[in-house]
Amino acid sequence: MDSTEAGTEILRGLAEAVVAYDEEKTVELARMSLKQGIDPGVAILKGLAFGMDQVGKLYETQEYFVPELLLCADAMNAALDVLKPHIKVEAQAERHSVVIGTVEGDIHEIGKNLVKIMYEAAGWTVYDLGADVKAASFSEEQKRTGAEVVAMSCLMTTSMLAIPEVIKAIKANDPDITVMVGGAPLNRELAMAYGADGYAESCGSAVKETLTALNRVKGAT
Amino acid sequence: MLDRVITALNKAKRVFIGCPAVIADLRPLLPTTMAYKSFDFGLHRGQRELRNALQHTIFECSDEAETIILSYGLCSQGVIGLRASSCPVVVPRVDDCIALFLGSRGTYHLGSQKKQGTYYLTNGWIRTGQTLLEEYQRMAARYGRKRADKLQATMFKGYRRLVFVNTGECDLERCRTYARQAAEQFGLRYEEIEASNHFVRRMISGQWDKEFVVVEPGEKITLEHFLGSSNGKLLKKT
Repeated sequence: MDSTEAGTEILRGLAEAVVAYDEEKTVELARMSLKQGIDPGVAILKGLAFGMDQVGKLYETQEYFVPELLLCADAMNAALDVLKPHIKVEAQAERHSVVIGTVEGDIHEIGKNLVKIMYEAAGWTVYDLGADVKAASFSEEQKRTGAEVVAMSCLMTTSMLAIPEVIKAIKANDPDITVMVGGAPLNRELAMAYGADGYAESCGSAVKETLTALNRVKGAT
Repeated sequence: MLDRVITALNKAKRVFIGCPAVIADLRPLLPTTMAYKSFDFGLHRGQRELRNALQHTIFECSDEAETIILSYGLCSQGVIGLRASSCPVVVPRVDDCIALFLGSRGTYHLGSQKKQGTYYLTNGWIRTGQTLLEEYQRMAARYGRKRADKLQATMFKGYRRLVFVNTGECDLERCRTYARQAAEQFGLRYEEIEASNHFVRRMISGQWDKEFVVVEPGEKITLEHFLGSSNGKLLKKT
């Protein structure tokens, strides 16, 4: 097996270990990938994040449930801890940043935490406000950190009504901030009607959707 | 097709289609002339599956029925996009079925705002669909108790109390015991309240005021119908 084949095997193994929520295996393969000289960014994106995409699909088809999602996220996180310190400094030169939280009135943050992991896996700086976050706190944290994106989630229809006000407050302060929304009661149409710049249906598409929205907002300014 | 079949002599004018957890509690209130159909509880998990199953049954019933009543709320948005070809469809304008048993959507919203982190259980949920304790046991058997406890802590993070909404006498002690055990298992404060019949009686008797979405034959149920009137402004671009 040459080094390219070995590298491909490791990436595939990382993805499979995430799907199998095998924390020991993801850590072992993450270490092995470093030894093999695989770029940690590649190991994260083509190994761990790819595996998490598969997990999202298994959840959609009801082969996995919330406990399995959490276990897979744990397995991914453990490997991220191994890989992150080795990401090259120059690769971090243009790091994106995001303020993230679950809106006021909603205590659920499993989905938000999965999205947070995906941002971190893509090398973003994440400022996590947790759950039940007041509208003003999103805006204040964005101002404090200078983050270019604010992402918010909700699980309950009773709390999604808070979203337009949060977006309004952020945009009133700086219309060039990219606002992303996601969560079970939302869809793309509603997200747009609420004034968001982007919407992600699942954690697997969150980073890609955010980059698209970010480019659109930047392009418009 | 229907769990209570419409006969030629006893033709149901209103056909009731609902979640088993709700039907279980409503059955004593349903007139004997009212046909009903309930679905597998598992459909709740998938928006698409729930919508397809509901739409299929609506089409099957719409020629026979004068009106179809869906005892679902906005839950999973499974009712969005549904329509009947030849009769109106009525659906309570609620976030989920808990509001039905609390008497109004307003009461539910107020309760959610005042006391966040409340997990509601009704008799119907416990008898037909609720698998809280069973899910924990499944996790413990599969992943070990230590991991199951960790998962449980993550899944119930932020929850502080479990409210058993007592909807009736049927199996009451068993349901109450289950709810108490669940509260204890998940470290939640146990409370019990009496369900209100106010909303469900109006739904069954045809008093469909602004707390109900009523769509005409051929018209689709939309999200705007649920958010409509007082919250309609929220749909406009800011």
